[in-house]
Amino acid sequence: MVAKNFVFLGDRLQVTGYRVKNGQMKIQQMAVMIVAVFFFFILVGLFFLGVVFKDVKGSAGDLQREQAISSMSVIADISELNYDSSWSMSVDEDKLRIMSGDFGKNYDLFWPVASIGVYKVYPRFDEIKKCPGVGCNYYEIYDNGQSDVKTYSSYVSICERIRESGSTYDDCEIGKLVVGVRSLTEEMGNR
Amino acid sequence: MTGNRFKKGGQQEIVGFVLIVVLVVVGLMVFLVISLKDSPVNDDSVVVSNVLNVIMKYTTGCAIIYEPDYDSFEDLFKSCYLGDRCGNLGVSACDYLNESLSDVLGDLMASDASVGFYELDFSVDGEEAIMSISSGECVGSVSAAQRKIVSGSDTLAIRMKFCEG
Repeated sequence: MVAKNFVFLGDRLQVTGYRVKNGQMKIQQMAVMIVAVFFFFILVGLFFLGVVFKDVKGSAGDLQREQAISSMSVIADISELNYDSSWSMSVDEDKLRIMSGDFGKNYDLFWPVASIGVYKVYPRFDEIKKCPGVGCNYYEIYDNGQSDVKTYSSYVSICERIRESGSTYDDCEIGKLVVGVRSLTEEMGNR
Repeated sequence: MTGNRFKKGGQQEIVGFVLIVVLVVVGLMVFLVISLKDSPVNDDSVVVSNVLNVIMKYTTGCAIIYEPDYDSFEDLFKSCYLGDRCGNLGVSACDYLNESLSDVLGDLMASDASVGFYELDFSVDGEEAIMSISSGECVGSVSAAQRKIVSGSDTLAIRMKFCEG
């Protein structure tokens, strides 16, 4: 006579209830393992994608900067600012003096951007001094007063022709052209 | 008896799981090493080329023959190669070039927080660099540009490299 929960398997006696519990346990273990492995591989995949797309973001940023510099060369090379037509990215300091004064207001509708400014980078300065003035280092060519402006900058040569001891020479310093791009959201709001 | 079998089964599963984790970690390490080693070098960067062009036009305080015929950095590289001296300052063109270029580069890079390292090499006809100025530690993406200057029958090459992190 064998008890209800016991059964013969070959020549061995097995506990059937225990077997059922053991099977359930195994299924649960496997389910937990599958879920754990699944999440593990998702995390690995996310890490992999993060590393791959970091380069893509960097490349996009570089391309945007290069495009901004190319666009700024158009502004630096227009005859109202350019020093020598054969030199790219060089601005005439005498023209900057004129354009940053009252004469520059005639060009307010001409500029396709929100702001244009040029400041000297070398020799280094501690504070920005707006031109005209003694020891000034910043020429504000145009500013439409817009607050939400995205600015881009690029190095330019600031040159002027100097006469000394009966002969003339080109004196070039290093500066930065800063261009503010109009914010479409604010323009749409003003309309 | 059955307890031992369950223990053995559990141990096997743990070993299997650990093996999978170890394999994935090793794979990730290999991937990381490769992706970090292969940081692309942009050899024709518009940004670096722009900086190099502006530096080359900068008028220095060195006049080789007479004042005010001051050399730009581009002229000063040629004067240095030819072994000239700055007549108005009484120093060799190479010494003045090294000193003033280090000064200019230091100030320019100090105004640009994104650049962590810069290097400028001056070489002739692709040979070893005659002069090299560098500062900082190279971390992040590398951008470079080169400018060639013709001096007589020789070609002087000025190569500039930035590391932006």
